[in-house]
Amino acid sequence: MAKYFLTFISLFLSTFIFAQAETAENSNNFMVSNHKVFVAVAVLTIILVLIFTFLFSIERRLKQLESRQKS
Amino acid sequence: MQTLIRALGRMVHGTTWLYTTWWKWFCATLLLYVVIGSFMVPLSPGISKIEPLSFSPDTIYTFKVSTYHTHFNSAAAGKTQFWFKVGNDYFKAKSIEVIGADKLEVKFGVGSLQQDSLKSTSFDVVCNDDIDGTFALREGTTLLKTAKADSTSNIVAISETPQVTHNKHQFLAFPYREILYETIRNTFFHVPMWFAMTMLVMFSLLASILFLIKGDFRFDTYAHQAIIVALLFGVCGYTTGMVWSKYTWFIGLSWWKAIEIMVFQETKLRGALISIIAYLIYLVLRWILSLKAMNIQKRDRAIISAAYNIFAIIIFMWYIFIMPRLHDSLHPGNGGNPAFSKYDLDSTLRMFFYPACIGWIMLGFWIYSILVRMQLIKQKQE
Repeated sequence: MAKYFLTFISLFLSTFIFAQAETAENSNNFMVSNHKVFVAVAVLTIILVLIFTFLFSIERRLKQLESRQKS
Repeated sequence: MQTLIRALGRMVHGTTWLYTTWWKWFCATLLLYVVIGSFMVPLSPGISKIEPLSFSPDTIYTFKVSTYHTHFNSAAAGKTQFWFKVGNDYFKAKSIEVIGADKLEVKFGVGSLQQDSLKSTSFDVVCNDDIDGTFALREGTTLLKTAKADSTSNIVAISETPQVTHNKHQFLAFPYREILYETIRNTFFHVPMWFAMTMLVMFSLLASILFLIKGDFRFDTYAHQAIIVALLFGVCGYTTGMVWSKYTWFIGLSWWKAIEIMVFQETKLRGALISIIAYLIYLVLRWILSLKAMNIQKRDRAIISAAYNIFAIIIFMWYIFIMPRLHDSLHPGNGGNPAFSKYDLDSTLRMFFYPACIGWIMLGFWIYSILVRMQLIKQKQE
């Protein structure tokens, strides 16, 4: 669980790095560049990462169930 | 009433839909369509920048105009037209030079004799060509009035009635909105998260009520598993909302300041956090009641958590659906009528928005079906 939690936190660390110079639409900020297209990409990435993390946790519980069924 | 309960019970209880696969294929197709399609469709043309931001009368200025997704160079674009608009008056640009597909140089000047007849000093800039249609930037540039009018100057801006072939862009595109820009695609990812959460929470409520009526433990399992998936979607919705708002509403603010506003000030964001916490409490409550030290019967635990679920739906409805409509909020369609108006969604957005909603809701129920099937196996083992 701690592994997933750290992955999740590190996802946000990247945004702190970019949070330095942001005033105008045309700044050098990566997230704001290209008419903010990377915000849309980041949002989709967050959703996919969270859902896949959840699916892997289900997978682990399912493995426990299966191993119990065998024994 | 009895038949209604029986019908609802069959709907929630019927386990066949958990095992059928066709709707899961349908869900996968819809989501693929939404994810790929929404990133393939470009934004519609727009003016992103005009310089200089202010100008004085009696001088012809050269305005540098940067646009986005325009086709000034292409043969089908025809003649590019440019106006400076004040009130309802369209002042034609003196000359327009196409520098590139998304760059213009426009010459324009206003006479000092006419400066007082203008309704306002801020000029909207409006552009048109045959492919890109008409697009504008509100309050693009400002006139700095001079104190003394120079009567010898012969510079006069001439107002005209615009004649255009197409008002709408001639290709498939999402609307160009200031502040939002490309993030308008988040409509297909962030918004359906809350729809999926709402549907799962409603489903869970139904299961809880049916448990209280019928006393069948399987309904308790259904309610519990639906809440787990609802929370997953709630957390997805909240984190994506945080990132989206940071780069749109709260641009220029630091992360801490933005989060402070999200948690304490903005009605809907605060409400969303409270409802997520309310459902986290549901899970914590179930966990505490299942502790051996609590010495609580399985039936009592199920009854308490079902009752709490009904209590939590009131919090959820109050903070997600009622409060934002009573108070002003940054979210569109709040402090008044709900979204879905023609200003919030145009036909191109709808083309992806409705499949996205259905797709994400189905994905929620798909994950729910996996959890329920696991629980059924687990209970069979015990």
